[in-house]
Amino acid sequence: MPTDFAWFYDIPTAKAALLMVAAFVAFYWIGAVIVRPVLRMFVRRAPGLNDLIGYILSCFCVFYGLLLGLIAVTAYQNVESAEQNVTREAAALSALYEDVSRYSDPFGQNLRWLIRDYTRYVIKYAWPLQQQGIIPQEGSIRAEALFDRLVDFQPSTPAEEILHAEALRQLNHFLECRRLRLHSVRSGLPRAMWYVMFVGAFFNILLCWMFDTRFLTQLVLGGILAAYLGMMMYLIVDMNHPFRGEVSVSAEAFEMLYERMVED
Amino acid sequence: MAIPRNTTLPPAPSGRRLSRRNALGSGLAATLAASRVLAPSLFVGCSLGIPSRMPTVKIGLLHSQTGPLAIGSTSLRDVELDAVERFNAAGGVLGHRIEPQAPDPRSRTDLFPKRATALLDDGAVALFGGWTSDSRKALLPLLEQRDSLLFYPVQYEGNETSRNVIYGGQVPNQQVLPGLEWFRSAAGGERRKFFLIGSDYVYPRTTNFIVRKWLAGTDAAVVGEEYVPLDHADFAPVVARIVESGADCILNTVNGEGNLPLLAALFEAGIDPAKLPLVSTSISEDDLRSMPASHAVGQWMLSSYFQTVDTPANAAWMAGFRSEFGRDRVFGDAMESAWCLINLWKLAVEKAGSFATDAVRQAFAAGVAFEGPGGTMTIDPASQHATKHFRLGRVRRDRLCEVVVSSDAPLAPDPYPQIAFPGWRCDWTKGGIERGPEVSIDG
Repeated sequence: MPTDFAWFYDIPTAKAALLMVAAFVAFYWIGAVIVRPVLRMFVRRAPGLNDLIGYILSCFCVFYGLLLGLIAVTAYQNVESAEQNVTREAAALSALYEDVSRYSDPFGQNLRWLIRDYTRYVIKYAWPLQQQGIIPQEGSIRAEALFDRLVDFQPSTPAEEILHAEALRQLNHFLECRRLRLHSVRSGLPRAMWYVMFVGAFFNILLCWMFDTRFLTQLVLGGILAAYLGMMMYLIVDMNHPFRGEVSVSAEAFEMLYERMVED
Repeated sequence: MAIPRNTTLPPAPSGRRLSRRNALGSGLAATLAASRVLAPSLFVGCSLGIPSRMPTVKIGLLHSQTGPLAIGSTSLRDVELDAVERFNAAGGVLGHRIEPQAPDPRSRTDLFPKRATALLDDGAVALFGGWTSDSRKALLPLLEQRDSLLFYPVQYEGNETSRNVIYGGQVPNQQVLPGLEWFRSAAGGERRKFFLIGSDYVYPRTTNFIVRKWLAGTDAAVVGEEYVPLDHADFAPVVARIVESGADCILNTVNGEGNLPLLAALFEAGIDPAKLPLVSTSISEDDLRSMPASHAVGQWMLSSYFQTVDTPANAAWMAGFRSEFGRDRVFGDAMESAWCLINLWKLAVEKAGSFATDAVRQAFAAGVAFEGPGGTMTIDPASQHATKHFRLGRVRRDRLCEVVVSSDAPLAPDPYPQIAFPGWRCDWTKGGIERGPEVSIDG
């Protein structure tokens, strides 16, 4: 969204959707009462203009619908991509945990504890921050501690060399996925898109206000259109930040991994 | 679809005409009524302020998570995080959720004050941490300037009392001196020739200064003294000099990862701990896990707490921590101190009814006690140091310590042993520090 409406993501999904729909419908109804009589004066002065508005409205709705549809798909892909990054990071961490479990103790145990520490941090501290749109900082300290410890290892046999090379490969993959996850915390639609969407919604509603029908018909039909616009907007807003809101990418992949680690 | 201007609507069933004005009025009334009914439930749980979220208070956890000191200090951070999570789960402290922040000073003394400054700038009400005495001393000017409290969990050399530090570790009269006394006794093998080895910074040098002064009043002697950098790895020459000196006991104040190569060098030199014991002040079970058991078995640890201490509070603490951090986690002296200190801080804040430094300090002065895993810990109002048990342990094959000697009750702290610092005293309840003649620890 153009500005950070953090509070919006704290509202439970159903209530947030209802709020957005109510806001659009209320805006439409208020406009129908205040603005519509003024606009209708112009329409009534020009016979046939009402039909023209009907054509323009139809045409506009097609283009605007396409725009909203494409944006919704983009937002969904953003969420899906973030979810994949999270799953990949957890999988890389799991594979790394298995690799370091093959190192002899105490070195292997130290590494396992560091991985566990990182995983716990992601679940308990990083996730709540991400849900507020904040990029967690202390995870990098833990990742660095793990990196420092792993590169300290000096393999002494060919088998250890192979294991160490594989562990380093997994570590790099994990660091790459971690970077992608952090990047997606603040990812979202560009500001220009939001302007186009909101201005488009306003024009849509404006055209409806200009349409000369009975007042109650105007309220009901326009209200339905405004409600659907609000719902589409809510969908895009909710998916815009993959880690925010009730319906967001969860830490489940890390939680499952940590449960297994703690049992070790 | 336009409706002719003069068209009238059919009458409503009630007989009243449904005019625009009527519809608007009804709609507005219905909307207001619906808003009044739905608004409370709609906004519950969101950050619009109905109801408000729990206020937060920040604390800083200053423990090295990378570098040579990370081996021991990372676990202290975990202990403190565990405590904070438990506080928050139980409703917070004074109705505030505690928000811990744990930057990494990277085992570098110069980074401790920088990280602490950032934490205090960010609103941290108290700091927990520090490891080496250098790191603690580097923090003192900042703490005094900002009038903030540091809760320092590690044993140290004494010769310091700051109004801005609550000292949770042992000073020499609670750790080193009772330990050496035991090794001089018949039970300890009547050792008379002590070799002192330590890392090259203030804690080992000051502790060894006190030890030299103390041994000078006995029939025992110091037969050698060596200092090495914190990241020193080649101890073979030092071990050779220890053997040459004819020492019958080694007092080890090496800190951090340097203990790994030291114990390895002693093992490789074939030194029998029964004949030439290494008595360490800065190794705990948490450090022992990082070295092969064969290198440590039979060596001695001076401490206030061992994992093997058999108390209900210890069992409960370990079970709770392990359920969160893993069943294979081990526990050490500084971890126990860190746990006690953060709980003491909570008790003091609750007693004071405030997070303000001075109020918390006054609460400590009035007396606060916590039943810790190793026994009851209180803070001496005169010196702001902890009362601590003395325990001597011997390393077993499972890399835990068997408690061989334990004091009956916690020992009162004496940060200025008069044998080493004559004339120096501290009593914050009676005017603070009483200065004696300047003492040079090299003398």
